[in-house]
This record gives sequence, structure tokens and C-alpha cells, in this order.
Amino acid sequence: MKKYGLFLGCNMPAIRPDVERAIRLTMPKLGVELVDLPGSVCCPAFGTFPSADEIAGLSINAWNLAIAEELEVDLISECGSCYSSLRLGRDRLLRDEKKMEQVNELLMAAGKSFKGTAAVRHMIDVLYNEVGPDKINDSITKGLNGIRAVVQYPCHTLFPSETVGFDAPSGRPHMLRELVEALGAEVEGYSRELQCCGGAGGFTRRALSDATKFTKKKFDAIKKETSANLIIVSCITCLMHLDEMQKELNRESEDNNYSIPVFDYNQVLALCMGFEPKEVASISFIPRNTITEMF
Amino acid sequence: MIDLTNTNKDLWKEITEESGDIRNCFNCATCVAGCPAAEAESPLLIRNLVRMVLLGLEDELLEEESPWVCVTCSACEEMCPMGVHPFEVCLAIRRWQCTKDETYVPPAVTEIFAEGHTQPVGKARELRKSVSLEEVPPTIVKFPELLKKFQDMLRNTELVRENDYMFEE
Repeated sequence: MKKYGLFLGCNMPAIRPDVERAIRLTMPKLGVELVDLPGSVCCPAFGTFPSADEIAGLSINAWNLAIAEELEVDLISECGSCYSSLRLGRDRLLRDEKKMEQVNELLMAAGKSFKGTAAVRHMIDVLYNEVGPDKINDSITKGLNGIRAVVQYPCHTLFPSETVGFDAPSGRPHMLRELVEALGAEVEGYSRELQCCGGAGGFTRRALSDATKFTKKKFDAIKKETSANLIIVSCITCLMHLDEMQKELNRESEDNNYSIPVFDYNQVLALCMGFEPKEVASISFIPRNTITEMF
Repeated sequence: MIDLTNTNKDLWKEITEESGDIRNCFNCATCVAGCPAAEAESPLLIRNLVRMVLLGLEDELLEEESPWVCVTCSACEEMCPMGVHPFEVCLAIRRWQCTKDETYVPPAVTEIFAEGHTQPVGKARELRKSVSLEEVPPTIVKFPELLKKFQDMLRNTELVRENDYMFEE
């Protein structure tokens, strides 16, 4: 059984623990053992320490990576930002001896050290490359037959491809689509499929109405070009943002024009495996009952 | 008209010493074309920022809040044909601004210092219980002695040393 340290980050354990529950239930069923990373902290997000003090940011990356190293496991993250921050940080440290030395000096006082022995993997990467669509298909008890989905690829797993990429080529990712197809759903393509959700960084915080308009273009393309019953993501930011933005857009008119339920991949997988919707898919703004009632 | 007589000609070395060589930028705007935040009312125009750095326009750059609108998607990093690493430049400009003017320091760093997280991970007990999870997750919120070590580590960083009044346990 392949073993990974589950990196929780901040949003999942605090705001969307139903996703954490879905991950903890589904992965062992696929032969992936998850262990905790005791004492892990914020990745750190790009808008925090990496925007203020590079060495401080890298030392926090290294703090988290060192925990996985001690346990001799690779890390797995569902959150795209956590994945990218940890992976870019690790890469920077391994390329730059001087920074590695500075960071290890900081870690030493806490009784830790960073060597670079633990790799950083994203959920889609592990599901596709270590488990595979066939095994996933074999693991489910009820599929999403007759359901049409669109997928949202997390930008942080695509760019910069030379450091974070695993889906090839980066401009035409296919892994999440195939993983969803393995659950029996039909995945529809659309013109803005690769448009970023817009939820990370400072865009929504500093220019909310512009950010809302930006994401509206994506929803409008989904509505116009597809007949999607749901949106499937694999990143906590994409999940929260695509859900919350629809609520925001519905405030502008009374007819609830935007009501496509949004799920994390592991949540849909958990439903297909027969786990309880109230444990694995209970938290959202846009109602999900059109999908959860199928199970 | 921009007066270039008194600009800081070494600004690019100071800011982007460790990212790509921004002197390769020829202003093609590929970084802007794929940027979500370029669609903002006050848009993030990375190529303009790169130009400001190259021309040494310190005062203008210090006033420039657009780097903080970046969504961090890194599409620019992928698309730049000249290896400038625009996303790294954006982060480097933010860091430079923080060292020149501490009001740029994002408040989230003090939250991470105090709690280890940007969200109330240790306080989501009811919500976590409702989905049959351990009420306090096994991150740093469960290990106060580790939080103390984490804070000790951060106290030795330049950011916390220079701005210690911001950071409370």
C-alpha cells in the first residue's frame, strides 16, 4: 500500500471539513494509506510570508516538508495553492545551497532539518498516476450514469509546468476529465474550461466586482455551451470560490440563475463508493441535492 | 514625461537578483494576455511593472498596489517567452515594498505567526464533528509546544525582527 502524509492546509480543515472526510474515507479504499502530518502549518500561501520575506516563507515550507521527511513519506495535497507553494519552495531550496543553509539554520533551533527527501504530490496526480481510472471504476458501487459534468483544473497544478506539472501537456490537461469519466459521468468541454477560477490571491479581496465579472464569464460559458449538472474540481479554493461566486451572482437578480452544484472530486468519489452525503458533501452554498439524492 | 535622471539604475538588481533576468523582457505583453487580474478596473499589468523596475522608478513602484491583485495562477510564468518569471517578479516587488513600507506587510503573516494558519482551524470543532472528524485536526493547533517552537523560528527571520510589534503570540 502506497503511503502519503496528508497535508491539510487551512481552508479544508476549518471551512470545508466534508472534503477532508471524503479524502480520508476514499483513499484507503483505493489502496492509498494516509498518515497525519503532526504540527503542520499554513503552506504558506503566496500572499503571506512569500510576499513579505522569502527566507521566512521558505522556512515555513521546510517546516512542513521536514515533518513528512521524518515520517519517510511523500506529501499529498488537494489544495492547489498548498501544492504549488510547497513544491516551488522545495524546488527553490534544492537549487540554492545558500538558502537551504539559511533555512536549516532557522529550523535547527526548532530541532528540525530539511533535506529534500519528501516529494510533494497533488491529489489528481496520485489518483491518476498511482491509482488509475480503471481501479477507481472498480471501486465504486454506483456511478454517475446519465450525469453531465464540467471540470475545473487547478492552475497551481498546471503552471509553471516545469516545476509543478504532472499532466501533459500543461495547456491541454486531461487527467481530471478521465478521473470523472471513470465514475460514469460524461464530461463536457467548453471554451473557458482552462480559465482560472479567480479565487486565489488578492483579486477577490482587492477588486471583488471585477473578480466576480471574471468568474461570471466562466459560468456563462458553462451555461451556454454545456448542459452540465455539476462542476467537479480538485482544489479547495476552486471549490469554495465557484460555489460562493454563484451565490454572489444570484444576489443581483431574483431568479437564481446560477445554481450549478460544485463538488470536489473525492466528494463525488465518496458518494459513488456509498458513503453518507451528510459526512462527505454537506457544506455548500449552492444546493447539491440534485446530485446527492441520486445516492 | 518621466524624468530618468535621478532614478535608481540598480533597482532591477535589488529586486529581481534571484528570479529570471528581467532585462530579457521586450514588452510583448504575453504575461498580460493570460492574466486574470489584468481584467481588473485597475489592472495588474506585469510588463509595466517590469519596465518600472528596469527604469529604476522607485517612487512610482512603491505607490503601485497592483502586484497585490495577482491571483497567483502563474499562467504568466508558463507563457513568458523570455524566461523573465513574471510571477516571481510580482512576489519580489511585493517583498521589496514590504521592506520599504511596512504597511504593505500582509496581515495574514501575523495570523500564521499566532495560530499557524490563515483560518480558524482549531475553532471549527462543531463543523468537524458534524462530518465525523476529529474535532481538533492534527496540525499545529493540536500541539501548543510545537507552536511555540514555530514562533521561535519565525522570530529569527528578518521580517519578524524588523516588525516585532506586529507579531503577538
